[in-house]
Formats: sequence, structure tokens, C-alpha cells
Amino acid sequence: MKPAPFHYARASSETEAVRLLAARGTEARLLAGGQSLMPLLTRRIERPQLIIDINRIEGLDRIEILPTQVRMGALVRQEQALRSCIVREYAAGVAQALAWVANPVVRRRGTVIGNLVTNSPGAELPAVALALGAEFEVHYPDRNETVPAAALLGAGRSVPLGAMITHVLWPRRPGPAGFYEIARREGHAPVVSVMVSKCQDDWRVAVSGVCAGGLACPTVARVIARKFPHPPELRSLAGALQADLSGPLYGDVHSSARYRLEVAPVISRRAAQHLAQQAASA
Amino acid sequence: MTDALGMMAGLRVTDALLDAPLDISMTVDGATVAAGVRPRYLLSDFLREQAGVGGVHVACGHGVCGACTVAVDGTPVRACLMLAVQADGAVVQTVASLSELEGDTAPGKDGLTRLQAAFRQHHALQCGYCTPGLLVSTALFLSEHKAQGRPCPGRAEILDHLNGHLCRCTGYANIIAAIESVLA
Repeated sequence: MKPAPFHYARASSETEAVRLLAARGTEARLLAGGQSLMPLLTRRIERPQLIIDINRIEGLDRIEILPTQVRMGALVRQEQALRSCIVREYAAGVAQALAWVANPVVRRRGTVIGNLVTNSPGAELPAVALALGAEFEVHYPDRNETVPAAALLGAGRSVPLGAMITHVLWPRRPGPAGFYEIARREGHAPVVSVMVSKCQDDWRVAVSGVCAGGLACPTVARVIARKFPHPPELRSLAGALQADLSGPLYGDVHSSARYRLEVAPVISRRAAQHLAQQAASA
Repeated sequence: MTDALGMMAGLRVTDALLDAPLDISMTVDGATVAAGVRPRYLLSDFLREQAGVGGVHVACGHGVCGACTVAVDGTPVRACLMLAVQADGAVVQTVASLSELEGDTAPGKDGLTRLQAAFRQHHALQCGYCTPGLLVSTALFLSEHKAQGRPCPGRAEILDHLNGHLCRCTGYANIIAAIESVLA
């Protein structure tokens, strides 16, 4: 299988990448790790006229620690982030989620921001970014801005095609996190995934695959917080989830919305158990 | 057909013609390969069709099976998820470079590397289609563990590693046995 014909351009800076993007509008795609984009090209689901390779832009592969945030460039690979001491200490929820992405070879090449911008309920990170309150640095041809993840991710939202997300900023959040997901086959897109993160008394829970576009559920967080370190009671968790999920439910050929709603509390409990293990071993 | 994009000042657009071949050069198993390649050609296509490497097997063609795994600048990569033009200037090693990837410069008297001998001894292959990719990524997996001072990965780590490779013959048990046998 080969992709449909396209131009190939190698950008040497963020500015150049954004200028190339602006010249082609919706017909151009940025290529970073390519672990999601390349299959779409070979199956010809995507047929862009221009591929802008950003892999040789210098400095985008850094993980930096800022006073209140952890900053990752668009070329930070998933395996790099999950092994990073900075990420494990200050954004444990991200590290735990990344360990479930695909397999080690794909994670070596796939990027953190690449996983985020899919904005798919079958990706591990978008819901995590919503729950933890991440921010994006976005480059447009005429301006740069920092926007909350909630402005670009979630149901009904998308990443603007004429812009480049150059960095993601995770709030510094020391404390344990747990993650669990259920997939048809390990390493493949999860049906439902849950991240639980605790920072002192602040609990965050990300449930993905139940509500279209991913969701952070405040009620579930409260339920788990009350029960910690014991696994939350299933019935109350299911009730809390149902109360939180006021939006349209997500279902597809892999599993129905009803199944996802039923399995989410079970997965949440396992994620909470995983968090308790992490807290105990720390 | 010319294109406005190629004429835009200040932009280094590699080519103005849609899918026109670009000149690239890379080191493949120690030899320099220079050729014109169409941008849409995958690294796996380039290695098989233009570099003449038979040890890069293409099964699924979209990143699921792991059969086409090669080392690009020492990192395992699915050759079907990378454009050939992206590997311009890179050092690519396939299963033909297995002894170097294993850090085993003196193969056994039958010409097999340690990993190959273990695969044979444990019957870790039958049709052999997934084997070259599996050997390359396992060699990198083991040498990386050794470099980090953790020479013996546990069963869970081996399973995580194998998660990236599909084998329809063995049921994986023999592959796990072969990998564990070279750890001793």
C-alpha cells in the first residue's frame, strides 16, 4: 500500500512549518511521529497535497520543568516522556497513561502531542489533558497563543488545521496516578480508559470512550476520594458516572454505548487500585 | 506542471512537482545507497525495491504487525510508517546487520548469531515471515537493557516488547522461551 501522491517539505523551524501550512490551508498535514498519520495515508483515508515534515526542527524534543508546569515540545516521543524522571514525578498521570499506548517500537516514534491532537476517545491522552488542565502553545501564521486543552479537545472541538501546536504544558502535580483500560487486543485503541490522579486532596479522574470526545468526571473523583485507599464501591461509582454523563454517549462497532457505561466503573476501580499500588510503592 | 508553492520565496520546499523523485542517500547495512525516490514511497518500499534488501518483510503495511521493523540510527522503527525521504542521511540496519545489533561480532560456527541460534533451538519460527522484524527489535530491546545496566528483562517487559509483533505460527510461547534462553 502506498499513499496518494503529495508534495514533501522539510521544515527547519516552527515559523517555516506554519508558513507552509498557511500556504496550503486544509490540504497540508504536519508529519511528526507519523504513527497515526501514516496508516491514514497508506489507507488513503487522508489524501493531503502537502506533507510538512517537522522531525528536523531543533529544540522541539525537550521536556522542560517550569515553575508551575512541565513543558513538552511537539517532537517529544511517547517512550521518552514515560521514562522521564520529570514527567514521572510531576505529571505521573501522563506517564501512567503513556505506558498503555501501543507498544515500545511505536512509542519510540509516536509523539505525545500527536496522541493528543487525534482528539479521539480511543487515544489515551486527550481525556488526561482535560482532567489535568493542560495547556497548548499554538502557532498561527500571524500570532502565537496559549490556550487551555479544553478549547481544542473534547466533543465537538478540533485542532485548527492552519495552526501548529508546538508545545503542551502540564500543570506540575506531584503525587501518585493510576491508569487502566480495556481494549479488544492489548496495545490497540482502548474501548474505555480511565486515569486517576491524586495531588494532596485534589483528585482528578479522566474517563475516555464513554462520552463522545472524552470526559473528566468531577463526581467520580469525589466518590473515589472518599473511598481511597480502598476501591470505590461499584454501585455508587456507576451512579456517579451516569449522573455526570449528561452529554451524548459514545458507541461504535467495537462496543455499544451501554457496554461502555457499564464497564467504566469497573475500569475506574482498577485505575484507583493501580494508583493505590503506586502510592504504596513510592 | 509547476506549482506556486515551489516558487514561494524563503521556503525550502523540497520539490515543486507532485510526487517527483527526490535524491536521497542513506547507509543500509553498511553500504551507501543513493537514489531518487518518490516522496510517497515508504521506507519499507525503498529498502525492498531500491536498496534490494530482502530481509524487510511487509505484511500489514500500516504499522500493526511489526514484520518490517528495522533500526534507523539505532532506534527500532516500523519501516512502513516512515517515508523513505525521512531517512535521508540516516544509518539503517536490517536483519542483515543482526550481529552488530546484538553486539555479537563473532557469530557461532554455523554462522548464526546468538539470537538466531536460540530461535532455531526453541522452534521460535515456522513460516519465518515475522522473524526478521522480531530479531531486529529483540536485539535492540536486549542491547538497550544491557546498556541501562538491566541485562535481564522480566517476563512482563518481554511481553510488552512482543506486543508490537504479530506471529500467526508459534503462539509466542517458543519466542518467549528463545528470548529468555539468551538472558542466562
